[in-house]
Amino acid sequence: MKLLAIIKKEYREIVKKKTFIISTILTPLIMAAFMFLPVLLMKMGKGEKTIQVADYSGFIYEKLAQSEKNPPLEKNAPATPKNGGKGDIFKKNSMSEGGKLKFKEIATAGATAEELLNRNIDAIREKKIDGFLVIPATIKKDRQLMYYSANISDFETNKFIEATVRTIISQQILIDKQIDPQIVNEATRDVDFTTIKVKKEGTSKSSAGIEYTMSLFMLAILFSILMGYGQLIMRSVLEEKNSRIIEILISSTDTQHIFYGKIIGIGLAGLTQVAIWCLFGAALVGKFSMGLDSGILNFLTLEIGIYFVVFFLLGFFMYAILFSIVGAAVNTDQEAQQFAAPISYLLIIPFIMGIMVTQSPNSPVAVISSFIPLFTPTLMFMRITVSPPAFLQIMLSIFFSCAFIGFLAWLGAKIFRVGMLMYGKKPSLGEILRWIRYK
Amino acid sequence: MNEQALSLKDLVKDFDGKRAVDNISFTVRKGEILGLLGPNGAGKTTTIRMVMNIIAPDAGHIEILGQPFTEKMKDMIGYLPEERGLYRKMKVMDVLVFLGELKGMKAGAIREAGRKLLKRFDLENYELKKVEELSKGMAQKLQLISTILHEPELLILDEPFSGLDPLNIELVTRILLEKKKEGVSIIFSTHLMEYAEKIVDSVVMINQGRKVLDGKLSEIKAQYGKKFIHIEYEGDGNFIAGLDFVKGYKDYGREMEIELTDLTDKNRLLKELSARVSLNSFQLTEPSLHNIFIRKVNEGVGA
Repeated sequence: MKLLAIIKKEYREIVKKKTFIISTILTPLIMAAFMFLPVLLMKMGKGEKTIQVADYSGFIYEKLAQSEKNPPLEKNAPATPKNGGKGDIFKKNSMSEGGKLKFKEIATAGATAEELLNRNIDAIREKKIDGFLVIPATIKKDRQLMYYSANISDFETNKFIEATVRTIISQQILIDKQIDPQIVNEATRDVDFTTIKVKKEGTSKSSAGIEYTMSLFMLAILFSILMGYGQLIMRSVLEEKNSRIIEILISSTDTQHIFYGKIIGIGLAGLTQVAIWCLFGAALVGKFSMGLDSGILNFLTLEIGIYFVVFFLLGFFMYAILFSIVGAAVNTDQEAQQFAAPISYLLIIPFIMGIMVTQSPNSPVAVISSFIPLFTPTLMFMRITVSPPAFLQIMLSIFFSCAFIGFLAWLGAKIFRVGMLMYGKKPSLGEILRWIRYK
Repeated sequence: MNEQALSLKDLVKDFDGKRAVDNISFTVRKGEILGLLGPNGAGKTTTIRMVMNIIAPDAGHIEILGQPFTEKMKDMIGYLPEERGLYRKMKVMDVLVFLGELKGMKAGAIREAGRKLLKRFDLENYELKKVEELSKGMAQKLQLISTILHEPELLILDEPFSGLDPLNIELVTRILLEKKKEGVSIIFSTHLMEYAEKIVDSVVMINQGRKVLDGKLSEIKAQYGKKFIHIEYEGDGNFIAGLDFVKGYKDYGREMEIELTDLTDKNRLLKELSARVSLNSFQLTEPSLHNIFIRKVNEGVGA
């Protein structure tokens, strides 16, 4: 009953705050901007991209050009049927209405590869063309494709080229083996590449895709929520300590009620905010899914949403307890900032490691650090978004985190009880540890 | 059967090797007002915090309403801490509802009782104001309201008069006497002995962590007898020090409290005074708590 009163009070206090209302509204707007802006910009842009192609292989360009919506006029119409029903290998809709690509072949004879490259790079700099695609002669074997552009974060273009070239190569290999073109078409038909993770050996360059950005983006959201609410809790605890209300609270109810009530109350406020964002996001995606990048749509699954909430809660309780311990131990805002700094580092470390984790999510360092409870909420979540680990691993990391939270809660309640009534000089870490043993 | 509202036995508390409370024992009887008196730093607040189970005593024993402290008792006690503070951003009524709920009350009952008390304390127009909009005195009164809101059986007030103007001290005094009539037992600490004197039934005086005096006010006063003479005068009163039948005195400049070794000498004193100063008033009084305290402390130093 009394616990409920504290939860209620803490919850209301946060939810009524101006900063809460503002950030609740502003964050989805920023998120929406992030999701829609690339598409929007592309639409507002010239709408057509000219890409020069240096085709050393001799068989890619022709088919690549066919894949365009408006095939270049200067080339002969290809023999293979295009845009022809089920057999069409090129999924036009993957480019949606984001913009058209116009491929232009340049002669590879008469100039060295280097000259050609330099010339085209200059052309890109002068904005005469948008991109330069180099298809090496050994493409079939090496599968190395080089794309030069001023804008390499145009994931739609990148994906489109990558997928199309891949399909062309597959077809060519089959045709080389004397397979009936009909069968080839059938075999290579309808590859919905947006749901296939492009993660082949040694292609770290090409992994700079949508998941990478999205998972870093969600990590940033997680990070800012944890930091924000952590600071909020710290200040709230410090206020109760400095205004000595804590004496009234302690003389009214159990210290554990005060401590847990505060964390649960603020946690519920945080969850409310996340829930509002999720609803907003779902409504937005439902209404405007047409205008969205399919990569983002594929990324934002229900599963990811659930994991986000789970790891948000884990991270929230861990850092909330840590920050509230700081609030209870110190006496002034300055001291609080000093003590809070190391905790912030604990949050920043996985943020930095995140880049490594997105690139090689299954490396031993990534795997091990995702099991360290303080890093689990961020790093395990990243691993899930980039390359989902075994379900058992996820459950195990959640279990470890829960156990760790239980330990922190026990520790926190003890330090809170003593710290809240200790005024005066700044305590040393040793002193704080000694408080744990107080009865 | 159970006459004790609160009893402390041999309470000891050390802070960093320094003894803040040294073997303090006393009892608050049911329905009485007990004043815990002493100068700043005497150990009053530490004693009260131990009673409230905010800090644990190093030794000794506390019983409230005949039992050791339990969590359930918190609802029966109203506690006003020495240092005041409330949630600055919260509205007055919301603060009362929150603190009332923490004492086990229902929100509806709190609002009803809260409104009555706010009116009583001239704060009825501030119900929806934020705490930070109140003056210091108002915030003090609000805090006192939150202390008595749940109609506790035992009130523990640490320096209830500090920061209040005379009018509000008067008001608080009246409320305490009302509560006493309702059968509430009250213990309050103060260093302002002249206010305490007016309302307490018993006193406990402490100095430097030790109890120096303990008993019913009437008995203490009787014990010290009417050996004091209070005068109002103009002139130079320094000659008093040279009179051999004066045991002690306290000169306030225009008023003086004089203690005689033997009260039969009062006419000699009057004669001396009328010869040397212009006398406006000459009155036989009981010793003030203040004087008794000073005497007790001096005795302690001498021993």
